[in-house]
Amino acid sequence: MNNGVLCFANNNGRIDYVKQAEFLATRVKKYLGLPTSLVTSTPQDVSNKKLFDKIIEIQDKNKNTKRYYNGTEHESLLFKNNDRCNSYAYSPYTKTLVLDTDVIICNDSLKHAFTNNHSFQIYSNCVDLTTWRHHPEFDYINDKGIEFYWATAFCFTKDDISERFFVMLNYVVENYKHFSNVYDLGTRNFRNDHAFSIAIHVLNGFLENDWIKKLPGSLYYTLDRDHITNISNDKLTFLLQKEKCHGEYTLASTKGMNVHVMNKFSLEEMIK
Amino acid sequence: MDNKLKEALDFSNYSATLNNQKQILSKKYQDDLVFYFNGGAFVATQDLFSFVVSLWTCGIDKTVIIDTNNTPVQIDNVSDFLDMVKNQYAFATNTYLDDFKTLTSKRSIQDLVNE
Repeated sequence: MNNGVLCFANNNGRIDYVKQAEFLATRVKKYLGLPTSLVTSTPQDVSNKKLFDKIIEIQDKNKNTKRYYNGTEHESLLFKNNDRCNSYAYSPYTKTLVLDTDVIICNDSLKHAFTNNHSFQIYSNCVDLTTWRHHPEFDYINDKGIEFYWATAFCFTKDDISERFFVMLNYVVENYKHFSNVYDLGTRNFRNDHAFSIAIHVLNGFLENDWIKKLPGSLYYTLDRDHITNISNDKLTFLLQKEKCHGEYTLASTKGMNVHVMNKFSLEEMIK
Repeated sequence: MDNKLKEALDFSNYSATLNNQKQILSKKYQDDLVFYFNGGAFVATQDLFSFVVSLWTCGIDKTVIIDTNNTPVQIDNVSDFLDMVKNQYAFATNTYLDDFKTLTSKRSIQDLVNE
């Protein structure tokens, strides 16, 4: 069985996701000892091809836009995020850990995803680094209590169960408007987390989940309103926006904790 | 601004940062308690520790323990498993104690986030 990490990076002219992928691949090798393959529509932007086990080129078909925040400021940019539903087809590995490029790996807990026999592992509870924020939208995708899953990180084995999941996921993505209505998501943009959550719910017979398992370790997150100010090996420093105080921050640091950094601009500054 | 008011506001910022760092340490402690054995994920709680000690004291060599994913995991050597629980618990609690002591000895916001 061969194991590896798969990540998706499609530059949108403003945010260098490929650079983030290179940064991720470096840390995956350091902390997890695994190879990383890159799926990208902008392979010409890869500056160090040696960092990747394989570079899988795809055509860019996405036209979604979303607001990208950088602290208190924001801009609307192309958001090319539709392809991770094809992870099963793209992955060259028997067991694959898919990671967002804005996850900063700081420990080896995720390597234990490869030491069990589970078909599909994902986080349903990621942890905000502040004590003062709680996001009900990250507990359930709607008011009807359908559990929220983070498509930021997941691990699958190439087997019948995972294949069935990705068939269902593709069906949800292709008919997202319909599922968005059925699941009462309102007018929000396409979101991988929601597509994954719906596919998991459908595949479990429209009941609470039992067939998928929790990924090892914990994944912490900071919002796009926060800033990352330093990365020193496994120690990260952040400015976290205070409650109801736009532009005011509390300093925080972590050591040996995996963190999903949603402020792409700030992350890019740090990894230049 | 009045000096005493400024001092109070500075202390308020310090307290907020300290409290948040304490929470981060507490969350990390929960992560550090987790260990992996024979394909299962377990938390080295005091309960698990006591239970495994009981098995070992009763001379039970093999058992099945349900992991954090509700998956039954075969434990072929209770003594080895007990060592894992013991070591993980000691590692997590000692790390937490050291980090907590260091944190609470800091007297400025900048120091709170520096090692």
